[in-house]
Amino acid sequence: MTRDLARALKGESHLLFDGGMGTMLQEAGLAAGETPELWCLTHPEEVRAIHRAYVEAGSDVITTNTFGANRLKLDGKATVEEVFSAAVACARAAGARYVAGDIGPTGALLRPLGTLSFDDAYELFAEEARAAAAAGADLFIIETMTDLLEAKAALLACRENTDLPIIATMTFGEDGRTFLGTSPEVAAVTLDALGADAVGINCSLGPSELLGLAKRMLAVTEKPLLVQANAGLPHVEGERTVYDIGPESYAESVRALVDAGVGIIGGCCGTTPAYIRLLGEVIKDRAPAPRHIERALTATSAQSIVNLPVGAGHIAVIGERINPTGKKRLQQALREGDIDYVVGMGISQQEQGADVLDVNIGLPEIDEARLLPEVVERLCASVSLPLMLDSSDPVALEAACRRYPGKPIINSVNGSRESLEAILPIAARYGANVVALTLDETGIPRTAEERLAIARRIVEAAKQAGIGSERILVDCLAMTVSTDQSQAAQTLKAMGLVKRELGVFTTLGVSNISFGLPQRPLINSTFLSAAFGAGLDAPILNPATERYRDVVRTWRVLNAEDTGAEQFIGHYAAWLDPYQHPGKGAIGDGATTRQPEGTAAAAKTSSTLRELVISGRRGDTARCVAEQLKHHDPLEIINDELIPALDEVGDRFEAGTYFLPQLMASAEAARAGFDTIRDVMPARATTDKGAICLATVKGDIHDIGKNIVKMLLENYGYTVFDLGRDVAPERVLDCVRAHGIQLVGLSALMTTTVKSMEATIELLRREAPGTKVFVGGAVLTPEYAKMIGADFYAKDAAESARIAAEVLSS
Amino acid sequence: MTTRAAAYAHHAPDAPWRVLAGAQRYRLGNIHVDRAEMLRYLGYTGQDIDEDLARRIERVAQEVEQTLEPHGVSQVFGVDTHARTAAGAPCVRLVGTVVELTGNDIRRHLEGACAVALLAVTLGMESERRLRTLAATKPVEAALFDAAASAHVEAAADAVDAAITADAARAGLVRNGRFSCGYGDCPLSAQGPIIDALDARRALGITVTESCLLVPSKSITALIGLFERGDEVQDASRTCAHCALKEGCAFRARGERCWRQANSVQED
Repeated sequence: MTRDLARALKGESHLLFDGGMGTMLQEAGLAAGETPELWCLTHPEEVRAIHRAYVEAGSDVITTNTFGANRLKLDGKATVEEVFSAAVACARAAGARYVAGDIGPTGALLRPLGTLSFDDAYELFAEEARAAAAAGADLFIIETMTDLLEAKAALLACRENTDLPIIATMTFGEDGRTFLGTSPEVAAVTLDALGADAVGINCSLGPSELLGLAKRMLAVTEKPLLVQANAGLPHVEGERTVYDIGPESYAESVRALVDAGVGIIGGCCGTTPAYIRLLGEVIKDRAPAPRHIERALTATSAQSIVNLPVGAGHIAVIGERINPTGKKRLQQALREGDIDYVVGMGISQQEQGADVLDVNIGLPEIDEARLLPEVVERLCASVSLPLMLDSSDPVALEAACRRYPGKPIINSVNGSRESLEAILPIAARYGANVVALTLDETGIPRTAEERLAIARRIVEAAKQAGIGSERILVDCLAMTVSTDQSQAAQTLKAMGLVKRELGVFTTLGVSNISFGLPQRPLINSTFLSAAFGAGLDAPILNPATERYRDVVRTWRVLNAEDTGAEQFIGHYAAWLDPYQHPGKGAIGDGATTRQPEGTAAAAKTSSTLRELVISGRRGDTARCVAEQLKHHDPLEIINDELIPALDEVGDRFEAGTYFLPQLMASAEAARAGFDTIRDVMPARATTDKGAICLATVKGDIHDIGKNIVKMLLENYGYTVFDLGRDVAPERVLDCVRAHGIQLVGLSALMTTTVKSMEATIELLRREAPGTKVFVGGAVLTPEYAKMIGADFYAKDAAESARIAAEVLSS
Repeated sequence: MTTRAAAYAHHAPDAPWRVLAGAQRYRLGNIHVDRAEMLRYLGYTGQDIDEDLARRIERVAQEVEQTLEPHGVSQVFGVDTHARTAAGAPCVRLVGTVVELTGNDIRRHLEGACAVALLAVTLGMESERRLRTLAATKPVEAALFDAAASAHVEAAADAVDAAITADAARAGLVRNGRFSCGYGDCPLSAQGPIIDALDARRALGITVTESCLLVPSKSITALIGLFERGDEVQDASRTCAHCALKEGCAFRARGERCWRQANSVQED
């Protein structure tokens, strides 16, 4: 049977790639750590000879020697165009039938954990993609990716700059995850959604170890799979690194992969033409069997997947808390750029059992197109759940969708023409799911049938855009029963109709139902139960609400999702039913009811607020402040108790009777006290002493010292704009200008990054004269600080509080 | 034998160190967080720690032990201590790699060495995620975690170090102290080439930023000189004499050193 690229990408034919390149180049004399791609220019004979050996062994596809041929790694030694042009020429000259332009990782880590931005990574890959296409490559192989977001940047760069087919593979460790925590399911679903023509696995493990991982991919995608395993694990023999699986047993293991449904095969580290020749035997005269997977709603983050198969009746809870409507504290945090606060909300919802997080940051004065991607990026560093990107601004949705490491849900499209035209192309372009609201230009229809009609219109338009019904979550809209009692039944009925008629999934913001009634959680949870019965798949709710969690846990027994009711029993076996044990505070965490921290100490009524802060008892401090607020003015509490306590702690730290964690625990306790006050007082009215901008300078990623300074300064009542780490001088200046900042704090830990500190100070001196700057960090000294032009040197966090007092009180 | 002649002999195909060539990988489970070391990083000098704080410290130390498994790689290379960079500057070159180390300290450290063991260890990207998460939400735990992870990755480097010592002894070689970029006048710019030479990006997931910092930040690269005779051993690994941080150093201010003094050599 003739093997053919186009048919292989339809799953109708096998295809044989080549094997290891790096190991063979090293045999030919490449030094460890040398840039192998440059050999296309300096040693084309050797590169051609390796390609030719693979062609002779039967490879259909020859992979160019361009794994790291991006501008960053080439580092000016050659241009990307030169390397790709030479590399494709080497492969062609060797007689390759198909030439795959190889694209490996950039070598730099992307934000949020690293420093490379998605857009910069995209540009690096786009340059490679254009160079490969111009040089005449037939397809792309994006490989050895460990960061899903980087793989996405590469995929989009190839897709948006060329018309060539794309195969994308990732590399998994023994724990079945990439270095950044991506599982085979997440990789396969996400790369498939982004339009890869084939997906797969390469490197790191031998073919038999990859079988299990490949099967997990085969279960969630219908795209052809490429597997390129290593020749086992490397070990040392004499002075050579050899791999422990020989060609014969390698080929036998690959046969098992092919039997399991893998269509495209090849080798990675340690494999040679001898291996590839035997792989040719494995797929000789056979074709892949057709594969079908169950339709399912899938949403991914880089670390996790929500997978709801059609008809299985499973549910996913969408946490609604990240939405500023009616939340003063969140509004303030968003205005001040305090993204840590949003991250905290994400983490707590994850701990409360949410499966997906809705992210809405819409406020009139906020530029969502700028801030939404930033919030999403920061959330992705700490929260592992898939996100639902929620905005009325299509530009913000596109910006966030594009840079999101996974397959998100877009919230939302509706039946109006304007919405359909703006939102569906975004969902199509990035393979996203989309929430469809059953309303249009004329408003929300009153009957279930009319809502079905709108849903049908959306589903049809989505289909035109290439979006299948399994990617659509219809929201039949819960209306307030206190306004119109007949509406609850219409919503429930509409849900049943859209599921049956359109094969979509359903979502619903549950709590709308109870506006204006007492005991809202009672109405909400009862309605939630009814909605589950009517076919609700993904409720949008506050996962902190115990009644909701009771219903969700219970429903998961009734819909057989909680197999053997194991979770339910684990949670409720030791539970005290509040109806039978009134007043026990039993609607707590059931078996895991938490003891309030420091209960013993709280009993000691003699402890003054000051002592509580000094000894770092945050729970007791909050309670004590709440108690004192009944009799005292907030300002009195702050000025007579909290601030003197912090001063005392600062003195103890200075004298060495306290060490860092004690200083911080006290700051944390004081913070709990301030938060309690802030809950009852208008924001900032009590405490505003001025604003300070903090940043860890460009190039430096060690920000722990800066974070401690931030914590302390906030406690002293300053508004802190924390710009994070690896901050360019211009961003500091922008912040100073935007908020009229008079004091800037900069940190740097490395000698090498003090240069950026100096550059930042220089820029401020030039563009914002009068701004005072204090600096800190391990490498700095008072003399050094003076030398680079800083106004103050802060040897520790306590010192920075004194500097702030000096500058901002004057 | 003169130093120069000895160096050539070390490059012979049958030089004793050659039996050690080839990459080694390590999975370092069962490493304990040294609580005293963790406290030292936090600036502890004998303050009274109350029960609540002690519990928080212990919880973080246990989390680090239970959730992070360090991994490492090492490889032995020949060494030329009298090489020159393309720009003509004197440097130490690891033979068969692109690693060039400039500065006087590293040359003093490796003078007379027949080979160098290069190593890298990391706590993995999960440690970085956890650090970011705690920094955003729990500042106290963030500081504790940072210190515990630093102690942990040092211990992981010690474990690889011990394996190298054992291998060297089997080959009849003597080793000196562990030396890292950034010690004395050895620039950080060699981090990238070291990671490349060890293929540590692929093997361990370690990346290098433009400013030559490692991510995950709880990662260490180091090199150890191997010598054929004990009396040849040089050691410039741990002195404050040329340290860039010498002036404002909090450890020195307390009369301590940032490294564990049990392992240290003669102080300046």
